[in-house]
Amino acid sequence: MNATGEQHDADCALRMEGVTKTFPGVRALDGASLSVGRGEVHGLVGENGAGKSTIIKILAGVYHADAGSVSVDGEPLERIDPASVHRLGVRFIHQEISLVPHFSVAESVFLGQEQTGRLGTAKRAMRERAETFLAETLGVELDGRALVRDLSVAERKLVQIARALIDGRAKLVVFDEPTAVLAAAEVKTLFTAIDTLRRAGKSMLYVSHYLNEIHQICDRVTVFRNGADVGVVDLRQPQQPQVRVPEIIRLMVGRDIGDLYPQRRRSERTRDALEVAGLDDGHRLRGVSLTVGAGEVVGLTGIIGSGRAELVDSLYGLRKIRAGKITVDGEPARTNSPARAVRSGLALVPRDRRNDGLVLDMTVADNVNLATLEEVSTLGWLNRAAAGRRGEELMERLDVRPRGSHAVSRLLSGGNQQKVVLGRWLASQASVYVLDDPTVGVDVGARSEIYRLIADLAQAGAGVLMCSNDPAELLGMCDRILVMVRGRIIADIAAADTDHEHLTALATGGAEAA
Amino acid sequence: MSEPAVQTLPPTRPRLRQLAATPALRLLLARFPLLVFALLFVYMALGSEFFLEWRNISSILRQSAPDAILAAGLAVVVTAGGDDIVSGGIDISLPAAATLGVGILSDQLVNGRPFVLAMLLAAAAVIAVGLLNAALVVKVGLTPLLATLASWVAVVGTTKWVIDNRRITVDDPLINSVRDGTVLNVPVPAVFALAVLIVLSFWIHRTRFGHRLQASGGNRSAAEISGLNPDYFLARSFVMASLAAVVASVVLTARGSGLSPGIEERLLLDMVLATFVGAAFSFRRVVTVPGAMLGALLVKALGSGFQLLNVDIFKVGMVKGVLILIVVASAALEAGQRR
Amino acid sequence: MTAETPAPSRADSAAPTASQARSAWSRRIFDVVSRYGFVIVFFAFAVFFALRADAFLNPSNLVNILEGNAVLLIAALAMTLVVASGGIDLSIGIAIDFGGWFAIIAMRDYDLTWASALLVGVLAGAAVGVLNAGLIVRLKISPFLATLGTFFIGSSIQQIYTSGGGQVPFREMSESFRSLSTGAVLGVPTEIVIAAVVGVVYFVLLERSVHGKRIHAIGLQRSVASVSGIRVSGYLVFVFVFASATVALSGIILTAGLRQFTPLSGFSYLLDAIAAVFIGASMHPQRRPNVAGTLLGVLFLGVVSNGLNLMGLDFNLRDALEGIILVGALALAFANRNNRARAVSI
Repeated sequence: MNATGEQHDADCALRMEGVTKTFPGVRALDGASLSVGRGEVHGLVGENGAGKSTIIKILAGVYHADAGSVSVDGEPLERIDPASVHRLGVRFIHQEISLVPHFSVAESVFLGQEQTGRLGTAKRAMRERAETFLAETLGVELDGRALVRDLSVAERKLVQIARALIDGRAKLVVFDEPTAVLAAAEVKTLFTAIDTLRRAGKSMLYVSHYLNEIHQICDRVTVFRNGADVGVVDLRQPQQPQVRVPEIIRLMVGRDIGDLYPQRRRSERTRDALEVAGLDDGHRLRGVSLTVGAGEVVGLTGIIGSGRAELVDSLYGLRKIRAGKITVDGEPARTNSPARAVRSGLALVPRDRRNDGLVLDMTVADNVNLATLEEVSTLGWLNRAAAGRRGEELMERLDVRPRGSHAVSRLLSGGNQQKVVLGRWLASQASVYVLDDPTVGVDVGARSEIYRLIADLAQAGAGVLMCSNDPAELLGMCDRILVMVRGRIIADIAAADTDHEHLTALATGGAEAA
Repeated sequence: MSEPAVQTLPPTRPRLRQLAATPALRLLLARFPLLVFALLFVYMALGSEFFLEWRNISSILRQSAPDAILAAGLAVVVTAGGDDIVSGGIDISLPAAATLGVGILSDQLVNGRPFVLAMLLAAAAVIAVGLLNAALVVKVGLTPLLATLASWVAVVGTTKWVIDNRRITVDDPLINSVRDGTVLNVPVPAVFALAVLIVLSFWIHRTRFGHRLQASGGNRSAAEISGLNPDYFLARSFVMASLAAVVASVVLTARGSGLSPGIEERLLLDMVLATFVGAAFSFRRVVTVPGAMLGALLVKALGSGFQLLNVDIFKVGMVKGVLILIVVASAALEAGQRR
Repeated sequence: MTAETPAPSRADSAAPTASQARSAWSRRIFDVVSRYGFVIVFFAFAVFFALRADAFLNPSNLVNILEGNAVLLIAALAMTLVVASGGIDLSIGIAIDFGGWFAIIAMRDYDLTWASALLVGVLAGAAVGVLNAGLIVRLKISPFLATLGTFFIGSSIQQIYTSGGGQVPFREMSESFRSLSTGAVLGVPTEIVIAAVVGVVYFVLLERSVHGKRIHAIGLQRSVASVSGIRVSGYLVFVFVFASATVALSGIILTAGLRQFTPLSGFSYLLDAIAAVFIGASMHPQRRPNVAGTLLGVLFLGVVSNGLNLMGLDFNLRDALEGIILVGALALAFANRNNRARAVSI
């Protein structure tokens, strides 16, 4: 650990001390501290659930901390709300780009802070200022009249940044996963912009999963684990990346895995349940091939933007593919729509549970039975007793709480909702289960039950493709692990031959830096 | 590490969407509704010499003014609430509100009330409808479609009651001069429409307020992140639209020399058609005030042209229906391309 | 990573809401009033009319209410199906018109039997639905605009072939066909019987069959339905075609009652049908369109109209009051339940 000694409040653009935040059932932050020096680019890293986004939401005034102190520019804040933070010059570049598609660049930059002239809004002045700002401060030549919907994602990101900074009062800029949506070449544009800002004396907090990026542009980096800061690494010191990146990874990971994962009898692989050859969508996927054996659990990892999400969507007919072949159980599968994919023997547990996983306003029983309604019906007449019974059975088996298949799904916790989604497919007896981030937002107790279910599925002879960015769970559950980076599978390794650090390094591009 | 070779499959049967992927075709798709209009007008101009005469054009201007003014009002609501018709902004009740205005104005004038007083009463009633809509949407939380549908029913009923569901013929010098008069050879109703165009265009497209109102409808969460309250702008848009309906009620009174019961139904469909067709005339392909008004003008011109060509008047409705489908289908196909 | 992104979601805030702070009892009363407020108003109106107009509770008047609203009920049921699937159908008026019109033409000009004429009418209505479904599923036009386009086209077709809306009479209509409207089954007017049968069919379809479950799932969260392997496009085609075919039936009943077809007469049922569906939806715990609620909505509209009529109010004042009562009822039904969901992103 390399904490850089004492710093006085006055030297800090941001200082958060002992911040604690508890949500029902979860302690998201447990005395976390974070300080960003004046004029520095400060990285913030940590695994999922480490508390990064919670502390940022506290800074933004979205959540209120239970305990702890926050000071911006040496000025202690009593109560944080979005307006007061904004006044103090803190600006947030959210991961999601929220812009009006049919607005021009200039209009987007000045949204909410329009300039007016003699004849209404000063369109020309705004356009010129926006163009100058983008060119000089962010280093990109953009036509102020171009429409947002015609811009590339990177250009939209820069417009988003320009909107936050155009008033010239920004002192601390918080970037949340800014490169998540960008392609490799586009990342450079963004870094040039950040460099320019650094030279202009702005302080920045940079949250990212990409360790090579952190290493490239940050001065210091704070590592979060389990809701607290576990170390600050100074990247300015003349040390080689070989030393520092593994140090950061060690700090991020260092936790007890225990026996969260069920013992699995690894059977001999006999046949392929799923075979994918040369899958290409002409954009995010560049010739992906993989196999999943029957009875095998294969992990798939890749940070946002790696093409992992697109691969899952393509497998399941949610995304058009240009080229490639998908074979399920030896039969060529035409998966150009989800309905066809399901009939070919695929089942998907989607990553966006709230939008794609559950009909939130339907009861648990309805949701469990949704994919296999014909099994609890006679000639289309829904046998409600049978449906309810099956709902109860599955809830029992999955230990969904609270019991009662007539509860509305919206009211369940994340873990229980996920169990319901899984339960829907348990009844369907698919050949291949694609589980996309199956344990995100799920607490540890429910997690181990979900792992047990996954093991059961494989035991019963199904192929499981488990997509996750949690190396621990991949190592604990999978026979093999595939790593995706920028649209390609760059590694196919047996779980026994790799470890946490190695996986993280591969997926985050840390392997390039190291 | 493996580097899988890309296995290319023979391309599937070219489908419409893929075909439309080339820029030229995309442009064609984007401008297709315009092209259809242009061709129809060329056809009409060739078919009837009278079509391009000023007398005919000024009659079209006169006839289309009320529709154009209402379409402008609707455009404001759509701009503020978003162009998703079911969950976004729409005001079905505008024509009913305008008709209520016509009813009150006519009734009062016939009963010998001075023009100013009659006008004030009519305006108050129409604006009250706008306020009702704003309250139903923002306070009660009804979707704009449902809220304005309900107020449509209420307002149509109220109009019938106020005027006893009868034809009222107005013979008021002021109203007559609106009907027959011209300013520099331009019919007075068209001047009214022009005034509405200038005021609303400026308000929506040139002011800070308008800019924010557009953002609220364009992307609600973007507006919220920028510290704006989209509901405020939506509420204001209903009131602004009702102001347009006040102007429309004067022009409508002039056009019909009073009130004929049941005019609101025809106005409703033409207004919706004009507003959404108008999106094809804007550079950004979104609903705008000038686009909506131009849309109303062209739809009327089309009707007039068919009449001159002795095309069965009843076929005009068919053309309108096909037109709206062409416009929205080409917009949907083009949007599919952009992704 | 999804769980960690600071998405600007208002619903996920963990802060205690005002409703939690409210005491349990007042909250329960509030829940009951907001859910059943509409029913309370309904009964208040019924009692009021019963007190003010002696004829109101007269059995023959109650049958009148039912018979007078059978056509609206059929149209509203079809609308319930469409709204349950997440759409709307502005062209039901056209399907109503086409049903009656084609049935009359089949009998008058082609001498078909009344049963075949019935079938022709229903098929003509279904054709309207096929057009809608094609526009919505194939061309991906929103249901509102697609059915609006269909409305224009259908109205125009009627005007063209009836010389601008002239009535199409058929006085020599067979008694069997007439009895679709004027007859009685076991003493119950046929219209009520037909509406009841349609009601049962829709109840089974929407509330008791697997298809209904799937249609509701499509309407509630289309992506979930799709991910669950439900053929969304297929169901949407079914919904629009079946709804149009159903309302054609009500057009046939209208024609049978009047012994003539009046062009463009179906439009007048559109707004009432939509209103009935949404009144009904407001009573459902999840605010879903449902058959029982729609029935209640239709009855409410019927009772208000009938009661105001019996009170001897002026015809025009009655229309005004009906409209105002509708606004009030909807506002009451939806008050304090901000269920506007808007998802907009690039």
